[in-house]
Amino acid sequence: MARTFVVIDDHEAVLSGTVAVLQKEYPDAQIITASGAKEAEEQIAGANPDAVVMDLSIPHTPKDSAQTETGLQLLRMLMEIYPTLNIVVQSAHVRSLVRIKPLMDLHEGGLTIADKGLPLKEMLKKVDWALQGLMYTPREMRVGLAIKPEWLKVLMLAFQDGLQDKAIAEKMNISERTVRHYWTKVQDALDVYPESGKNIRIQTEIRAREEGLID
Amino acid sequence: MDRSYVRNLPGCVGIGLVVVARLVGLLQPLELDALDVGLRWRSPEPTDDRIVIVGINETDLQSVDTYPIPDEVLAQLLQQLQTYNPQVIGLDIVRDVPVEPGHAQLVEAFTTIPNIIGGESIFLDRIDAVIAPPPSLPPEQIGFVDSILDDDGHQRRAILGGTNQEGEYRFSMAIQLASAYLSAQGIELSNGIKNPVSMRFGDAELPVVSSNLGGYVRADAGGNQTLINFRSGQRPFRQVSLLDMVKGDVDPEWFRDRIVLIGITATSKRDYERSAAIASSNPGLVFGVELHAHTVSQIVSAALDGRSLLRTWSDGWEYLWIIAWGLVGMGIGQWVQRPIRHFLWVGSIMLSLMAASYGFLAAGWWIPIVPALTALLINGVLLYSFYLYDQTLQSRIRDRQLVIEQTFTTIHNGPLQTLAGMRRELDEPSFSKSKLEQSLGQLNQELRGIYDAIQQDAIQDNRLHLQGQAALDLTTPLHELLHEVYFDTLQRNFPGFTSLKAHIVTFEPFEENGLTAELKRELCRFLEEALCNVGKHASGARRLTIDCQHNGNHNLIRVIDNGSDLNVRGEDNIEHSVQKSRSLTPQLLKNAGRGTQQAEQLANKLRGNFNRSAHSPQGTCCELSWQPQKSILTQLKHHIIAVFGKVNHLFQPRRR
Repeated sequence: MARTFVVIDDHEAVLSGTVAVLQKEYPDAQIITASGAKEAEEQIAGANPDAVVMDLSIPHTPKDSAQTETGLQLLRMLMEIYPTLNIVVQSAHVRSLVRIKPLMDLHEGGLTIADKGLPLKEMLKKVDWALQGLMYTPREMRVGLAIKPEWLKVLMLAFQDGLQDKAIAEKMNISERTVRHYWTKVQDALDVYPESGKNIRIQTEIRAREEGLID
Repeated sequence: MDRSYVRNLPGCVGIGLVVVARLVGLLQPLELDALDVGLRWRSPEPTDDRIVIVGINETDLQSVDTYPIPDEVLAQLLQQLQTYNPQVIGLDIVRDVPVEPGHAQLVEAFTTIPNIIGGESIFLDRIDAVIAPPPSLPPEQIGFVDSILDDDGHQRRAILGGTNQEGEYRFSMAIQLASAYLSAQGIELSNGIKNPVSMRFGDAELPVVSSNLGGYVRADAGGNQTLINFRSGQRPFRQVSLLDMVKGDVDPEWFRDRIVLIGITATSKRDYERSAAIASSNPGLVFGVELHAHTVSQIVSAALDGRSLLRTWSDGWEYLWIIAWGLVGMGIGQWVQRPIRHFLWVGSIMLSLMAASYGFLAAGWWIPIVPALTALLINGVLLYSFYLYDQTLQSRIRDRQLVIEQTFTTIHNGPLQTLAGMRRELDEPSFSKSKLEQSLGQLNQELRGIYDAIQQDAIQDNRLHLQGQAALDLTTPLHELLHEVYFDTLQRNFPGFTSLKAHIVTFEPFEENGLTAELKRELCRFLEEALCNVGKHASGARRLTIDCQHNGNHNLIRVIDNGSDLNVRGEDNIEHSVQKSRSLTPQLLKNAGRGTQQAEQLANKLRGNFNRSAHSPQGTCCELSWQPQKSILTQLKHHIIAVFGKVNHLFQPRRR
């Protein structure tokens, strides 16, 4: 299945670099580019992409100067209009994303943060995770282990009562999809990410017990 | 001093001044002018064809060529008129002495024509003279033609009856004419019912002028006077000249069964008065004969058509009305808002007041418009500037108080917390010089940072400065701001944070209606303070629960830890350490408990609740909850739904 990506960056060199790497990884993919927030909005509305890879420091239109605030605004808007969109945020200054962490916790699509300082391989990994619907936030965005009450409930029902997602959903009176969405959030909080050969649920349980979230 | 006293006193003085000004008569000229303007602006009434004026004008005088008009001319005129069968003829030309030629003819006319009313003057004029009636007319065919003028020389009142120099009660010509006309219709002159002193024709009771009536102050109310409700319009009465009569240029039908008034309408002969209440081609000048016609007309129209007479309120109601408008002025003056809006309000209220008084006048009520406008203007405009000044002063004091509080909060949440931590470390065995140096360095940095933070807080009113963060825009949603505060505070170096394993956090949107930037700043400081307390006092806390959200109908900020108390919880801790070491200043001792005080103040401002309590099985719960203000839109929606529900209910078919 051919994928569609929208890549947003105001630096020509960075943009072409990102596009090249993505194209190599996903040869069939259609890659659309945008250099500003306004253009990006239009592209995303038209293309209905599988994932958006966006730089945080972007201008509104090519005439404006690039600002983190503009990127934050675009991100807010995207999360609001497309709650299931997969998003990869590239940034050199991830601290500024702390403010919208509460919003990010509500986003149901994949959402990963790629530090711009890291190699492109890392970026590809974040794109892959986003496509899987996962959440990834770097350590700089966290202060200790922050868990929402409903995520904790999922952990307890799964690991203390041994329930499956379907039963958890019924017990919490939410959709199974939401339960899965909670899993990705709590996994991110516990620093559990997909690793080949490891069962992610069991990893999560181990970490949760380590942190004393469940007895 | 009590604020409401300061605010209301000037307004009451303003009203008092207007009342006093009116009582001593300062406002009388303005009120009379306003009455004239109001009467003049009424829509025109149709010509009253019950009255015809035969006016002897300048041209007539030239053709007669002698003055006074000879008796012969008057006699011929009376005889000619009589052939047209008028109801009654009023001769507004005094004839106490013969003016030859033709005196015998005039005497004959007077004796043969039964429906003539002759004129006399019974009140003393400037040279203390009165004018006797024509000797050949019987007393019941005589009416006096005296008029009474206001201080400004204008005539607004008519004398209907009075006592002459011999002490006999006499009626005016207007009353004689109206009485003659109306008695033919079966309506006789009698005494008033509401006021027995007044005169009455059928249902029309003629209001009597008292000396303080309406806008008058100590007016000469001698005799029985009434206000003239002038007939509006350019042509209130049909008017013909002597020449028209002589040439036969008239239609006999005009006179049949009518009231005919004969008088001089030539300016050279000075039989005119001033009135500004009539829209005429020669403003301000009305001939005596026309004034009589207005008086007769208003009496006859009132009796037969129910046309309104000019009435006034009693003094009590008038002053109540004036005071009420003064209070309205005070109300809008105190309800301080932007000047342009304020003046638009005052302007439109004044216009409506003028429109209302015009409406009243059209319906026959002369109400005190000038004093009401003056009271409104004084309180609404002059006192507004006073209120504005007072308001500015108040807000300046409030701002200063705010800066003081902000300063202290910054000190309290920053260096004081570090200091408290240092004091605790002193007791610990692991205490070392390098640790002290590190802490002192931090303290130094925090103290130096205070000035900048305060200055920025005070200048840029919508930004919040946290310790490790660039300024935050306070227009950001509250839950995001609080998340930043949480993030920032938890990074600070407090002993209570080290044992924490997990934070159970909820940051979800609040109902922010009614939250100013200032309140949001204080809410952020509240969370900061609550988290600092956990950091300082909670020992071995493993779990921190932070709830920041709108749940159902309350906004809630709650911080719960499950640590044990290190020593006495809350701000008291500072006092404890103070007592232990006795090295802190008394000022610091006084300020202990400040955090709780501030939280309670904030809860008050939000009309919510602040609570710090023990949490089971161990730990502390600190929470602030408040009900959000409902927006006007939401309120409106609720009303509409409620009304719609009722309406819907009404239209539903009834089931048995």
